[in-house]
Amino acid sequence: MSGYVELKNVKKIYHMGEVDIEAAAGIDFEIQKGEFAVIVGPSGAGKTTVLNILGGMDTATEGQVLVDGQDIAGYSQKKLTAYRRDDIGFVFQFYNLIPNLTALENVELALQICKDPMDAGEVLREVGLGDRMDNFPAQLSGGEQQRVSIARALAKNPKLLLCDEPTGALDYNTGKSILKLLQDTCREKGMTVLLITHNSAIAPMADRVIKIKNGRVSDMSVNAHPVSVETIEW
Amino acid sequence: MKKKAMWKDFYMEIRKSPGRFLSILFIVALGVAFFSGIRASEPDMRITGDAYFDSENLMDIKALSTYGVTEDDVAAFSQIEGVEAAEGSYSADFLHNTEDDQRVLHVMGEQKEMNRITVSEGRMPETVGECLVDDASDYQIGDEIILTSGTEDPVSDTLATDTLTVVGRGNTSAYVSFGRGSAAIGTGSIYAFVVVPEDTFVLDTFTEVYLKVEGAQALTSFTDAYDDKIAEVQTLVEDSTEERGVIRKNEIVQEAEDEIADAEQELQDGREKAEKKLKKAKDKIKDGKQQLKDAKKEIADGKEQIAQAKETLNAQQKKLDKSKKEYKDGKKALKKGWKKYKKGKKKFEKKKPEAEKQLQSGKEQLDELADQISEDEQTYQSLQLQIDTLEKAIKSGQGTAEMEKQLTQLKTAASGMNQKITAEKSAYSTAEKQLSAAEKELSDGENELASTEKTLTAQEKKLASAKEQLDSGQKQIDDAWDELEKQEQELIDGEEEIKKNEEKLADARKEYKEGKKDAKQEIADGEKEIEDARQELADLEDPKWYVYDRTTLIEHSSFGENAERLGAIGRVFPVLFFLVAALISLTSMTRMVEEQRISIGTMKALGYGKLSIASKYLGYALLATLGGSVIGVLIGEKILPYIIIYAYSILYPNLPQILVPYDWGYGLMASGIAIFCTMFATFFSCWRELGSQPSVLMRPPAPKNGRRVLLERIRIVWNHMNFTWKSTIRNLMRYKKRFFMTIFGIGGCMALMLVGFGLKDSCYEIAELQYKEIQFYDASVYLDEDVTEEERNRLHEILSEENNVERYMDVNMQSLTLVNEEGTEREVYECVFPSDKEEVARFVDFHDRKTGEKYTLSDNGVIINEKTAKLLDAKVGDTIYIKDEDEGNKPVRIEHICENYLGHYMYMTPEYYQSVYGEEPDNNTILFIMGETSTDSSAASQGALPEDQLEAVGKNLLKEDGVLNVSYMSDMEQQLDDMLRSLNLVIVVLIISAGMLAFVVLYNLNTVNIAERKRELATLKVLGFYDKEVAEYVYRENILLTFIGAALGCILGKVLHLFIIETVEVDTVMFGRIIHGTSYLYSLVFTVLFSLIINGIMYFKLRRIDMVESLKSVE
Repeated sequence: MSGYVELKNVKKIYHMGEVDIEAAAGIDFEIQKGEFAVIVGPSGAGKTTVLNILGGMDTATEGQVLVDGQDIAGYSQKKLTAYRRDDIGFVFQFYNLIPNLTALENVELALQICKDPMDAGEVLREVGLGDRMDNFPAQLSGGEQQRVSIARALAKNPKLLLCDEPTGALDYNTGKSILKLLQDTCREKGMTVLLITHNSAIAPMADRVIKIKNGRVSDMSVNAHPVSVETIEW
Repeated sequence: MKKKAMWKDFYMEIRKSPGRFLSILFIVALGVAFFSGIRASEPDMRITGDAYFDSENLMDIKALSTYGVTEDDVAAFSQIEGVEAAEGSYSADFLHNTEDDQRVLHVMGEQKEMNRITVSEGRMPETVGECLVDDASDYQIGDEIILTSGTEDPVSDTLATDTLTVVGRGNTSAYVSFGRGSAAIGTGSIYAFVVVPEDTFVLDTFTEVYLKVEGAQALTSFTDAYDDKIAEVQTLVEDSTEERGVIRKNEIVQEAEDEIADAEQELQDGREKAEKKLKKAKDKIKDGKQQLKDAKKEIADGKEQIAQAKETLNAQQKKLDKSKKEYKDGKKALKKGWKKYKKGKKKFEKKKPEAEKQLQSGKEQLDELADQISEDEQTYQSLQLQIDTLEKAIKSGQGTAEMEKQLTQLKTAASGMNQKITAEKSAYSTAEKQLSAAEKELSDGENELASTEKTLTAQEKKLASAKEQLDSGQKQIDDAWDELEKQEQELIDGEEEIKKNEEKLADARKEYKEGKKDAKQEIADGEKEIEDARQELADLEDPKWYVYDRTTLIEHSSFGENAERLGAIGRVFPVLFFLVAALISLTSMTRMVEEQRISIGTMKALGYGKLSIASKYLGYALLATLGGSVIGVLIGEKILPYIIIYAYSILYPNLPQILVPYDWGYGLMASGIAIFCTMFATFFSCWRELGSQPSVLMRPPAPKNGRRVLLERIRIVWNHMNFTWKSTIRNLMRYKKRFFMTIFGIGGCMALMLVGFGLKDSCYEIAELQYKEIQFYDASVYLDEDVTEEERNRLHEILSEENNVERYMDVNMQSLTLVNEEGTEREVYECVFPSDKEEVARFVDFHDRKTGEKYTLSDNGVIINEKTAKLLDAKVGDTIYIKDEDEGNKPVRIEHICENYLGHYMYMTPEYYQSVYGEEPDNNTILFIMGETSTDSSAASQGALPEDQLEAVGKNLLKEDGVLNVSYMSDMEQQLDDMLRSLNLVIVVLIISAGMLAFVVLYNLNTVNIAERKRELATLKVLGFYDKEVAEYVYRENILLTFIGAALGCILGKVLHLFIIETVEVDTVMFGRIIHGTSYLYSLVFTVLFSLIINGIMYFKLRRIDMVESLKSVE
């Protein structure tokens, strides 16, 4: 059975002058719908390349990228934009909120362009920011900002939620609570979540762990019993 | 060398971001070029003009007097301190009638030293009769120009010849532009100048003298140094003219007195001569009359004589005829006589023998008888003796009766006896008688015959002589007739001659009468002339000297004014430009420092000193700014003044070369300010950053807080706003610095363009406003001071009869000086308009510029124009003074202030004039308006026809006595247009520059904007915004900023425009204050257009933003 998200022999080669750098040297993996997947690997292993390709921000040099049956590898820029717009929710390491929009407005900014949006306020309440909706990002803590970022991604009702080191800029506890939020979202809403991190300690909470090394998937395992975030320590 | 790494870093910094470096360099170059270039235009223009004037040795001072300039005057002037040279010269105005035109030409004598002519074609004239013509004219070499004087005096009074052959074309710096000035003849405006050799002029005195001032050549014209130098010498010359005036006056008086004396002598001579001549004529006429009379009488006598002669002749003829008849009768009788004589002779000869017999017998008888008688007588004697004896006896008494009886018997016997004797005697006697008778009869018969023969012969002779006489008589008579006829003919001839002579006499008389009248008139004229001359001499004012500097040259001062205007524009316009440029470079530098805070922090952490770190940025800024400044000065000071002066050379076509020397003052000033601004800004930013700890520096700066904007409080508006708009507005408010920079940048550019367009409006508007909305009259006719009522009426007649003239009005216009309380003086035209307000309103419309409120003249005060009021700092209700040095200043009250652009005017009613001056105003000017066609704007724009009509009217009027000059409003309009046309080009330069600046500014700001927000935009892209949507997100801000900036630009531009207008405008002109809607539109369109182009370029920049940026950490 093929996965909801499936990468087949994806290669990404950057031409830097006369040297070709293979950021991804044939990556293969698949994720089932509603799974909480984690890609782990050291810096420079090709995690970000995978994220970029999967997020529609970059195109693969070779291979197939199937998302819900569509091969986005062959998409044009425009189609890719539409794909980002409709199918992908993105959670950045540094939140990337628009600084002069309130929390609510930041969510609304994303909703404005999508087909089937959820209610921004409701989503914000769901991520626990019901009473901070009218605050500007600068008035929010990092965790809160990341919650806004998640809310912004969720509100679009995407097929796939991509999270790029969502806890990278957060302290331990906040990071945990964010991971909890993501896990809960996945469980409760059946959202397919793909989380990229260099922190392999959080791998046990995932349904599927994909390890990347030197541009290849070194190991992919399905965790039959993922643990709750609270139980993980790092 | 120690800091080799730093140098390397510095070098790499520039290499890595050449865009930024170049943009700073370019914008500084632009600002400096514009600033120093435009500013340098003013001195460059002066230098260019000065070089031109010097190359032709243009005079510095011109002096002329009302009585000409003598050699002595010239010599005297050359001795004045500070005068380098003096040169007398000739000039005069003449007319040239071409096929369809009459032109006024200004003929000048060629000067050896000053005011040299540049020959552009052909050669200079060398002999009398040759000439060189103005380049601006259409005369060609070889053309012949025949001059007429345009006055009563013939051309020969002034020139040796009236026919000039064109041998060359050229120009002179004395006529720097197209204007050729005005003249008192023909149409009144000079068409072209003509140069002739000096000896073409035959005047006694020079018409003017030109002076060169020592050391003035080294100074630049139109500068204060030059003006002061000239003014100094001018004063000396003026002083000297007083003396020269006295000398000249004495000369003239002497001359005039001599002349008058001569004239008097001449008049006297003339009078005598005339009288003599007249007398002679009169005598002659009298003689003639007498002669005629005599002749007439003679003729009458002759006629009478002829009549008499005729009568006589007739009588004589009659007589002659009678004589002829008599002669004929005589002849007949003679014939008869001869016949009778012959008959008688025959008879006599027959009878003669018998008769002689009878006679013999008779004689015998007689002898018997005689015997008897003797017997009887003896008887008787015896008886008688008896008787006697008886008687004696009786007597003695002795007688007896017998005796007595005897006696008686005796007696009876005696008696008887006696009787018998007696009877016998008687018978004897008878017989004797008979005999003698018979004898006699016979002899008588013989005698008779002889005598008859004799008689007849005599008669025959007589008759022959009578015949002869008759014939000669007849001949005489015939001759007499002939003679008579001849004489009669003569008489007729004589009569005719008399008639002729009579006519002649009448003519002569008439002639005489006329001659007398003429002579009288001539004498009267002569006397009047002398009287006039005397009067003139008595009235002779001191020769008036006029000493002018170069401003007297046509359009010379306009050159200076144009330079000054350029200067005024240069003082304001580039400042804003420069300010914008400085601001942009400043922003760029500030941003650069801010961008590199991590680098700064690292350096600091590495232990570099503040100065070392800052020196990189300062050096960067210095290099960019200095480079830009150098490029700007080098290029700007060459190109901009060249373009601008080149633009002006349309107005001044003869400028031989455009000089644009570097004006280091302005260059240094611009560079200095640019460098200072940028360096200061860089230093300030560095300082701020360097003050922080390295650790702080190496962390990203705390993000700026989003902030609610004021607009959010207005819920209704805010809630209804599109979400993206909210974001846009918040964005705008968030980056306040950028917001204001952008707005100021766009606003500044918009303002510059608006000023450019606005200047054009203001300049172009005034002619339109002045002549379409304020002064409606088409021409003013200036009258002689002593114009007579007749002449005036004649002019009125002409104007009324002229179909094209709609209406006219008599006014008083005079130039005078107004002075306010502070002593500020201002020359104005005083116009006294009639009291008829409606009529006046047809000529001039008095209204307020801002409110448009209409004013009318009243007897309570004057209306003055806005500019004058401003210059005199006077308001409505204020009192200003008419300067009068003799009788003290006269106060006038300002009742209204009216809109006016050209010239200075003070309007009043005659009544108010009376109350101010205490006398009636003299109307010395007639204003007139052409018919509908000329005032109709559509027709006016069609051009030629109404103007031709106007000039035709003007020409007619100029022919009249008492008209000094006719000035056409269209001419002034034309002049104004010419003046402003050059400004127009400058404005185009300004607009283009402003546009360029706008472009650079917008580009720069947008680049900065995008660079600063790269992350945000990348995020939007990741969120799935299409390129278009991302662009819109940015554009929305840009567009909004553009419009806000444009709105600010409108305000800024309007203020700046007003400021520039007030600085730029010369004293005589008030430029329009209004910027037309179209100018706002143009400026806006340009600004938006630039904005759009920039945004178009930005679109590609936006597309190139890598989404990966969003994943990076905040720097």
